[in-house]
Amino acid sequence: MMQSFLNWLDARTDYRQLLAPIRLRVLPAGPRWAYSTASCLLWLFIVQLVTGLLLMLSYSPSTTTAWASVHFIEQSAAGHFLRGVHHFASHALIILCGVHVVRVLLARAFQAPRELLWVTGLLLFPLMMVWAISGNPLSGGLKGVSQIEVEGHIIGSTPWAGPLIQRILIGGEEVGHLTLTHLYFLHVGLLPLLVIGLLLFHIGQVYRHGLSVAELGGPQDDVSRWSSPNLANLVAAHPTPTMPPRLKYFPHQTVRNMTVVTVVLGIISVIAWLHGAPLDAPADPTLPHTPRPEWYFRSLFELRRYFVGDWEFVATIIIPAAVLGFFVFFPMLDRKCSPRVSAVLRVLVVLFGVGTWSGLTGMSYFRDWNDTEYLVSSSETDVLSVRARELADRSLLPPEGAITLLRDDPKTQGPLLFARHCASCHSHADASGQGIVANEPSAPNLYGFGTAAWISGTLDPQRIVSEHYFGKTKFAEGDMVSKVKELFDGIEEAEAAKMRDDLKLVAQALSAEAALPRATAADHDAQAPIVAGRELLSGRLACTDCHKFRDQGELGSAPDLTAYGSREWLLGMIGNPQHERFYSGDRNDRMPAFAEDTEHPERNLLSPRELNLLVDWLRGDWYEPPTTSVPAKSRNATLAGN
Amino acid sequence: MRRRTLLKWISGCLATLCASVLGIPGVSFVLQALQKSGSDGDRVRRVARLKDLPVGKPVAVPILGAREDAWTVHPDEVLGRVWLVRRKAAANEGAEATAQVAAFSATCPHLGCAIQHDAKENRFQCPCHRALFGLDGERVAAKSGVQKNPSPRAMDLLECRLVTDETTQEVWVEVTFQKFEQGLTKRVLKA
Repeated sequence: MMQSFLNWLDARTDYRQLLAPIRLRVLPAGPRWAYSTASCLLWLFIVQLVTGLLLMLSYSPSTTTAWASVHFIEQSAAGHFLRGVHHFASHALIILCGVHVVRVLLARAFQAPRELLWVTGLLLFPLMMVWAISGNPLSGGLKGVSQIEVEGHIIGSTPWAGPLIQRILIGGEEVGHLTLTHLYFLHVGLLPLLVIGLLLFHIGQVYRHGLSVAELGGPQDDVSRWSSPNLANLVAAHPTPTMPPRLKYFPHQTVRNMTVVTVVLGIISVIAWLHGAPLDAPADPTLPHTPRPEWYFRSLFELRRYFVGDWEFVATIIIPAAVLGFFVFFPMLDRKCSPRVSAVLRVLVVLFGVGTWSGLTGMSYFRDWNDTEYLVSSSETDVLSVRARELADRSLLPPEGAITLLRDDPKTQGPLLFARHCASCHSHADASGQGIVANEPSAPNLYGFGTAAWISGTLDPQRIVSEHYFGKTKFAEGDMVSKVKELFDGIEEAEAAKMRDDLKLVAQALSAEAALPRATAADHDAQAPIVAGRELLSGRLACTDCHKFRDQGELGSAPDLTAYGSREWLLGMIGNPQHERFYSGDRNDRMPAFAEDTEHPERNLLSPRELNLLVDWLRGDWYEPPTTSVPAKSRNATLAGN
Repeated sequence: MRRRTLLKWISGCLATLCASVLGIPGVSFVLQALQKSGSDGDRVRRVARLKDLPVGKPVAVPILGAREDAWTVHPDEVLGRVWLVRRKAAANEGAEATAQVAAFSATCPHLGCAIQHDAKENRFQCPCHRALFGLDGERVAAKSGVQKNPSPRAMDLLECRLVTDETTQEVWVEVTFQKFEQGLTKRVLKA
């Protein structure tokens, strides 16, 4: 029944004849594992088509949606896996391309009449690389987008048509929506068509030359010594006594090919499942990042160091083109050599090529490994990527897109704002000096501001005059310092210990005023000491002689202790420290008013958004995912510990 | 010949393995569109003050809320509209008065167009295919009788109750907003 249907089909389509080259292909030299590179490349290419098409189901190319849609794909196990396979298979394709070219070169399989096979293969190799890198920026990530910016500049710095091509690629002057749609067009439209066209020609040539010459009788035996799987077909009609009996390609070679494909796909799948494709933080020009090319372009990146200025295009265009040209015309050079000379020449070319490539690549990585600045920047990028995914996992994204994730995140923006606006005077560094250290600290170290640990420092006669508090300010000679010293004047050690315990209570009470989000649970459990501290504040210790605290004391002579360190208190203090609530008149040291003009916020040093981010960061008020709440707690414990 | 068959069989198995490594996640990725999207939480919304509703004259109120769209959440969007019909001006506004306001989804059960109020005839009509409904939401035959009412069922009645605001002591209408499948004679909640 099946047979009769196939006969019926064959009568109408001639499919048996069409498939004959595949079914009847023979391997005179027998099947070999080495022949599998070609088949493995073809199957990986199909893997890319399948996974790529599936990813297109949910991907949306625009600067507002690219990152968000890729993150959406990553949310499902299937999407995570498919994108991982797509990513790692692209690297495997390039590695296998290299192995295949070297194997063909060593096998001398480029000889007449297979010049076109050789040339199309050589063109496919760089085309594959361009195809792969055109996919990187599609995720809208920091790394991919800065790569395309650099690549655009490389193209733009090429003489003549460079700037024109750059503009078309980028879709304007700056990276934006059109860059992504243009790259999408290249990645899923033009480049696949080009690659498929070349590939069909390439494979067509394999069969064309595999069978036709065989029918003519085949060349000399010495050729078969260097036979590629394809060249081997040429001598199909001339079995020599040393050769095994003629075996058909299917299944004797097929089973080897399938084994290699399964192993390669297996490795890719395991890596994809365990690690998944990387997803950097959403691209944002305001975030720090040092771009680096993919590993397969590292050699050119290194080469570019030696051609600076106007000569850069020598490294980026001329040398790669010359190398490609050399290989394209290599068969003509090879033809002039005797088989022995040719063999030596080809081995030398491979050794020199692989040596130079790996030398340059290794040198480039070696430079980076010794470049502390790059290593810091690279680890900062990693931190941003993890943070962006944490925030995106929390809820769906706003319509403005993923760029808002890190822009509205106090944990990310706080250090940047502090370094820009505050760190000329203030440090923000823990006891071990980790964090932001001012070049010349001349104001209190604000690390842990509002915590009981920080406040205790202002109530300690030694610590208050250290450079972490008032040491480098005019308050070192001020009333607060002398009052704190007075507390311990002429008292016995036992009384001093009692005083320190009392001040601990005061610090605890003041810290409760700040209502820091990481301390709310602790404050809740310590109501008794907090109440005791409040009573000491306005009672025996007479802080309210100068400070206002709740309904005790007056404003005007010292900062308000009501809601000290709270969000609203800090907004006011940073906004305008000369306000009556803080350091009015000439009592303010050098602290500028960052948001004095409430009617025209655009005139202020800090916008309302920036001010809020800075205050939230100082107060440790940011989202932490539930799984990492343990390290967050321990950080708080160390905070309280100093 | 034995060996050849074995090799063919192994090749086939390996090919099937490779195909399923991609095929199974591939199919499950495609089928993700069938999965229920995340629940949009509280569907009960306060839509109008009772005293703002005229008796016998329907009022359309928008249902505002966060609309989730794949990876985006639009925080404040019109999710749909509801027609409120106040039947009588009750003196008491207690629990027994709950029945005095009816809420109908403004989405036509026929093909999902927005149902309008015909002020002249004081009834509902859908502009797309002339489905007619009375103020009680039931289908009404057109006067000429030439055309059959295209709607398969009455307008979708939504759960609705009156609540008294604790701070202002005003009586509000609360509606449980739901969407139903179109074109069916029975009401089926949209997944």
